Amino acid sequence: MATNPYEVLGVRASASAAEIQKAYRALAKKLHPDLNPGDTASEEKFKEVTASYDLLRDPEKRKRFDDGEIDASGMERPPRHYYRDYSDAANGHSYASNAGFTDFSEDDDPFAELLRRSQRARANRRGEDLHFRLPIAFVDSITGASKRIALPDGGALDVTIPPGLVDGQTLRLKGKGAPGLGEGGPGDALIEIEVLPDPRFARDGDNIVLDLPISLREAVLGARIRVPTPTGEVEMALPKGSNTGTTLRLKGKGAPRRGGGHGDELVKLKVVLPKPPDPALEAFVETWSEADRFNPREGMPS
Amino acid sequence: MIMTRQAFLVTSGIDGQMLEFWLEQQWLIPQDGPDGPAFSDGDVARAHFILDLKRDFGVNDEGVGLVLHLVDQLHGMRRAFALLKNEMSAGRSDL
Repeated sequence: MATNPYEVLGVRASASAAEIQKAYRALAKKLHPDLNPGDTASEEKFKEVTASYDLLRDPEKRKRFDDGEIDASGMERPPRHYYRDYSDAANGHSYASNAGFTDFSEDDDPFAELLRRSQRARANRRGEDLHFRLPIAFVDSITGASKRIALPDGGALDVTIPPGLVDGQTLRLKGKGAPGLGEGGPGDALIEIEVLPDPRFARDGDNIVLDLPISLREAVLGARIRVPTPTGEVEMALPKGSNTGTTLRLKGKGAPRRGGGHGDELVKLKVVLPKPPDPALEAFVETWSEADRFNPREGMPS
Repeated sequence: MIMTRQAFLVTSGIDGQMLEFWLEQQWLIPQDGPDGPAFSDGDVARAHFILDLKRDFGVNDEGVGLVLHLVDQLHGMRRAFALLKNEMSAGRSDL
C-alpha cells in the first residue's frame, strides 16, 4: 500500500478515532466482498481500506506512522478468502437459502421449474474434492510404495503409490473425498506427489543418473564394485582405465516406462584421490617417468 | 479441507465460547464428521465474515443474524440466476 492511509479513508490527518471508524464503516459497507458478492472489482480497494484502517485504528501504530517511523506498506493483512467464494462451493453445509424465491418456484411455469431444479441439485450435491500433498522418497517414486495420510478429522487415508511417479504428479482416489449431500455421492481425494530429492540419484526421463565415486586404483586397474540402485545394490564390472566422466549403463535399473519395461541407470564415474593425500602415491607419481608425456589439456584453446 | 473443532478454532481465530454461541444461533452449521463436527474452508470464511460484522462494523448479535439471513438469501438468488443464465445460453426454447 503506497498511498496515504488518511487519503484512502478520506479523513483529515487530525481526524479523531471515532471519525476514522465512521469513515471505515461507510467505505467497508460498499466494498466488503461478502456484502457485495457480485462486485468482484472492489476487493482490491477493500483490502487497501482495511489495511489503512488497521494502521490508523491502533493509536500506537498511527503515531509511529505520523512520526514517519513506519511505512504504511507493512500493515497489510495476510490474504484471506471471503465467504462469497464458498457460498456456491460443493463443500460443507450450504447456507444459501431459497426463501427469497420460494413464492416464484410454486408456480407452474418453466421459470418455476428451473428454480425447483436448482433446489433439488443442492439437496443432492456431490461432496468436495479434498486436496493433499504427499512427500515420498525418491526410491519409493521408482519402486512404488504404500503410504497412509492422516486426515484432519482424525481418520486416515491409505494411498498406493504406483511405481514411476514423477514430482508434481497427482493421484485421484475416487470417492475418498468429503461426503456429499443426499444422493450426491462423495468427492475424490486428490493427492499431489512431491518426490523428495535423493543425495545419490537424479532422474532424467526414464533413466536414473548416479554419480559414483571410484578410487584411483579401481579407475586404473578396473574392478568389480557394488553400485546402489533404487531396488538395491548390484555388482558392476568397472573396465580398466575408467576415467572421471565415463558413463556406464545398468540396463533396466531405471524408472518404469509407460509402455512397459524400465529405463536404465546411468552411472557417471568420478575418480577420487585418497584423502588425506597419500605419501606413497606422491612418491610413486614423482618417479613415474611417463607422467609428463600426457597433456590432458592438449587441443584446448588457450 | 475438512477440519476438527480445535483446528477450526485455530484457523478462524475465535474462542470456544464464541463458537458455541454461533453454533447455537446456527450462524455456522458444520457437517457431521466421524469424531464430532467437521468444519470446512467455507465455514472459516463465514466465521471471518461474522467477525468483520461484529468487530469492524459494530453489528450486534441480532444484527449479525439478520445480515446472514439476507446474505444467504442473496446467494440462493444468485445461484438461481446463474442456473437461469446457463439454461438461456444453452438455448432452451421453452424459456
